[in-house]
Amino acid sequence: MSTHTPHPDQSSGTRAPRDAWKVVARREIDVQVRTKSFRIGLLVTVVGIVATIVGVHWFQNRDTTQTVAVVEPAAAAVVKAADQLAGDDTLTIRSKDVSDTAAAERAVKDGDVDAALLATDDGYELVGERDIDATVQQSVTAAVRATALQENAAAQDVDLSALDAGTTTSERLLDRGADDGGLRQATSFVFVLLFYLTAIVLGMGIANSVTQEKESRVVEILAAAVPIRQLLWGKVVGNTALAVLQIVSYAAAGVVGLLLTGQTGALDVVGLPMLWYVVFFLVGFVALASLWSVAGSLASRTQDLQSTTMPAQMLLLVPYFLAILGGESIKTVVSMIPVVSSMMMPARLVEGSVPAWQVAVALGGTLLAAVLLVRVGARVFERTLLRTGDKIGYREALSLAE
Amino acid sequence: MITVEKLSRRYGDVTVVDDVSFEVRPGRTTGFVGANGAGKTTTMRMIMGVLGASAGDVLWNGQPITADVRRSFGYMPEERGLYPRMNLVDQLVYFARLHGLDPRDARSRVDELLEHFDLTDRGGDLLDTLSLGNQQRVQIAASLVHRPSALVLDEPFSGLDPLAVDSMVELLQQEAADLPLLFSSHQLDLVERLCDDLVILSGGRVVAAGPVDELRDRGAVRYRVVMDDIDAAWLRDLRGVRTLDVDGEEALVELDGLQPAELTRAAFERGPVVEVARVHQPLSDIFRESVR
Repeated sequence: MSTHTPHPDQSSGTRAPRDAWKVVARREIDVQVRTKSFRIGLLVTVVGIVATIVGVHWFQNRDTTQTVAVVEPAAAAVVKAADQLAGDDTLTIRSKDVSDTAAAERAVKDGDVDAALLATDDGYELVGERDIDATVQQSVTAAVRATALQENAAAQDVDLSALDAGTTTSERLLDRGADDGGLRQATSFVFVLLFYLTAIVLGMGIANSVTQEKESRVVEILAAAVPIRQLLWGKVVGNTALAVLQIVSYAAAGVVGLLLTGQTGALDVVGLPMLWYVVFFLVGFVALASLWSVAGSLASRTQDLQSTTMPAQMLLLVPYFLAILGGESIKTVVSMIPVVSSMMMPARLVEGSVPAWQVAVALGGTLLAAVLLVRVGARVFERTLLRTGDKIGYREALSLAE
Repeated sequence: MITVEKLSRRYGDVTVVDDVSFEVRPGRTTGFVGANGAGKTTTMRMIMGVLGASAGDVLWNGQPITADVRRSFGYMPEERGLYPRMNLVDQLVYFARLHGLDPRDARSRVDELLEHFDLTDRGGDLLDTLSLGNQQRVQIAASLVHRPSALVLDEPFSGLDPLAVDSMVELLQQEAADLPLLFSSHQLDLVERLCDDLVILSGGRVVAAGPVDELRDRGAVRYRVVMDDIDAAWLRDLRGVRTLDVDGEEALVELDGLQPAELTRAAFERGPVVEVARVHQPLSDIFRESVR
């Protein structure tokens, strides 16, 4: 098959069944939704998202008690003062009386108490087993110092409040969102991860379904029944609908998780980027879907997919790693390159503010790429779908499409 | 009527189908025979439009065929193609819907076909749980599901036992009696039994085409003469007759000037006769002679 390869007479259809793509799309959806792996995968991820949000919230806000062993009543008074100084509603520091130093150390070793506060010649010693809770350490240190200062001041007949005047520093934040850094980082990571996973799993699904149709030869019947490009459109539409369904479910699960834990503040931070995320995912997936379909039509057997899906895999893998590891400037550039921007831009949007023009460039570029890829993809698809026997290279496929 | 006109297909320098012309008339079954690699499948794929032609045309009722007309054909590809992990009803409804039937019409047509094909009980079963013969029936059903205007079936009977072939033939006669039907096969006895017209392909070219009867009668007419207890060798001396074979009381002759009635009279004059019968040339002979 070298020089002149006439094309199947597919384009000359005058009144082709115009909505055959809808029938194809519906079948794609039906078949996927009926598979157990799809339903279970979706359910597990949705439950996982809610559970993670609720779990992290609970872990961060649960009530904890730190017990400090003391020998003298004076030390018990210090621990009590430390509890007040800690100023944390979820942390209680309380003292436990023991008979002597040895008993205190034994209690620490046995894990009966978290630490011991023992008197020394020039003050106190905080004893822990391997480490001491940072809040306990800070507040006990401050309490020891305050107690000693008070005693010393009284002994020297000094007015401590006068000495202390003008030493307080209070705090006021102009941008309340600025302390949401952790939340933003985490959300951006989850965005990228779920984008990558959803796009690669469903993308592979598209390629696989095309190759299986080639392998089972059903494609010959399909090609005799409808114009081939309608098959491609149907696959792109059906699988995009599924992918968006998944992403919207994930976003909804995130919202439910935040509402369940009463974190409406967090919703203010990630709500809008979440909407952008869905929009970018939709456009990006359409562009990728046609590439995945072509990858399927280039393969003759399922084994060929490893190599024919490489370009689509790279388009997902590279921005995935850049989003996680890349520096600020690399991310800025990549977030405006068509197609790969659809993963990167929502991540940037959630991490902080992005100039509107950059968002427009990213979205416009990907939209254009999607239109182009679907068109070129349809041509390649038409020329390669009915060719079996050998794997077809991208270069050859493009030359066939010209 | 499908008219194939000077159809050719080349792959590089190799010509697989070379200037092929023939007709498939409505209500007539046209058998497409030829050795493996003769170009049958390639020709059928070009008729269906899933393969482009290098030269030549396919006409429908005298007009160049359109994609729409092609889509109204029923097609059974050489390599069977259905979804192995889809149940029969869903599968057939899908094909019907692709051909533009609305959901209700598609469903009732599928039910009707499954009933005709004796597969109603299996409607919910996955295709690959069916026996080979039943899978083949589903494949035929898939080609009929949209009430096609013509049928192009590539080796529809291969892999079927004689009983399955009979029931398949019956189904086709019931479902597609008045359609142009082209089917390929290398089972000559079957073609002989089923076909009205014949197209013989060899090395990508048509070597014989036309109604089966005409093709049969093309050669000289042969007669078998069986005498009762008399050696048939006397026929060797009869003028106007060429004797092909004599075996005791039986002989095979070709008339060379003598009329059939004169042969019969000569036999009776000679003695008691068991049989004087015209011998049809078997299709396998026509085929062998054509492709030689």
